[in-house]
Amino acid sequence: MTITETPMIDADVLIIGAGPSGLFASYYAGLRGLSVVLLDSLAEAGGQLMALYPDKPIYDVAGLPEITGSALVASLLTQAELARPTWILGEQSVELIKLEDGDACTGPPRRHVVVTDKGRRIQAGGVIIAAGVGSFRPRALAAADPYIDRGVQYTVCDIASYQDVDVVIVGGGDSAVDWANMLCPVARSVTLIHRRRALTAHAMSVKQLQQSNARVLMDSEVVAAHGSEWLEGITVRTGANHETVKTQALIPALGHVANLGPLMTWGLAVEGRQIVVDTTMATSIPGVFAIGDVTGYPGKVRIMAVGFGEAATAVNNLAAQLYPGQPVFPGHSTELMGPGTALSEAHQPPAREG
Amino acid sequence: MAYVIGPACIEELAGSCVDACPVDCIYEGARRRYIQPTECIECGACVPVCPVHAITNGPNAQPEWAEDNEQFFLTVLPGRSEPLGSPGGASSVGTVGADTELTACTPATPNDPE
Repeated sequence: MTITETPMIDADVLIIGAGPSGLFASYYAGLRGLSVVLLDSLAEAGGQLMALYPDKPIYDVAGLPEITGSALVASLLTQAELARPTWILGEQSVELIKLEDGDACTGPPRRHVVVTDKGRRIQAGGVIIAAGVGSFRPRALAAADPYIDRGVQYTVCDIASYQDVDVVIVGGGDSAVDWANMLCPVARSVTLIHRRRALTAHAMSVKQLQQSNARVLMDSEVVAAHGSEWLEGITVRTGANHETVKTQALIPALGHVANLGPLMTWGLAVEGRQIVVDTTMATSIPGVFAIGDVTGYPGKVRIMAVGFGEAATAVNNLAAQLYPGQPVFPGHSTELMGPGTALSEAHQPPAREG
Repeated sequence: MAYVIGPACIEELAGSCVDACPVDCIYEGARRRYIQPTECIECGACVPVCPVHAITNGPNAQPEWAEDNEQFFLTVLPGRSEPLGSPGGASSVGTVGADTELTACTPATPNDPE
């Protein structure tokens, strides 16, 4: 597909968020014969499982006494792929446009268009919001803003490229300390700056850092960046002292911030950070459902197991809306799918649309 | 259930939790920090980074302090005219500079930092 003009994508259901709830919703939509688009702002599916704890064991998924985040995502992907979803990764939904009734042609009516931050338009009969706590982005270091991509970078590039470079890393967590340790043998110099008085990375990594030739400045803050074309140095404040540190590569490693962002401007009924849903997982906008951590109702428990149930509830109610006369109850999967269906479909990494 | 900061934080105020929180829901009082229970997304990122192990999950481990965390946002704190409520981000508020009654009258626990 060439993108000279942004193509319109069409599906029965658009699922916003490819975390555990969104992935399971994809499977269920496939079971109901619905065509699926899966959209996620990160470049990789899996949501919080992959972004926050891929290696941590999880104990509260029914039927799986212990499984790591990444292993669970791999299984969820295999299952989600049974619906043959169209994947759109690395794009954030920004706008929801309601279509007038009567846009129906032969199949189910198309009630919504969602526009992404890249200008892509996705037309769908129903939308399922499985956005969790929102999209994850690196926490910004304000003082570094003017030199983004001119010396300031939020992820480490090719290690070899730091030879003859004075690197400054900001932060005190695992990423900051691991990157410092990784760059020490390569870079001309490494300075780690943390605004607290203790590093919170693993003790082993901190020990390695202390034995390295990295300079560590605690209780310190980057207050300004300097340079003409490219970053040349920064001003660091420690208490009342100000010091200039020479650097051509500043790497803020300050963790992630989650933000529901544009979703909250769509006119959905919300309470705090949660989208209000009824017992069918319908939001206040007809045809728009919400599932998983993003939903709120009395007694809500925000765990994955609940999100899976909500995914099945939302998809089956949406299917009955899209195909009048169809029941909400899907039938039993044992009857609807042939033996070995899932096992025969080895998971292929999602291909990026466009 | 929202995470809870207990009395070990009193006069500690290390702030590592603030750096770890993805939703900026940890607010700074005068003597300790408080988690806004409706803004907390229960991700648990703050727990392992606390140098004094002050943070626990849900109200059961430290019921009195769970209540205290909530009261910080519901009551009118000294020097203020209305409750903090849910400001939607600690960095937009800055240091609050006041505490709940319980926190104000609780002595600091002798900490043994790692």
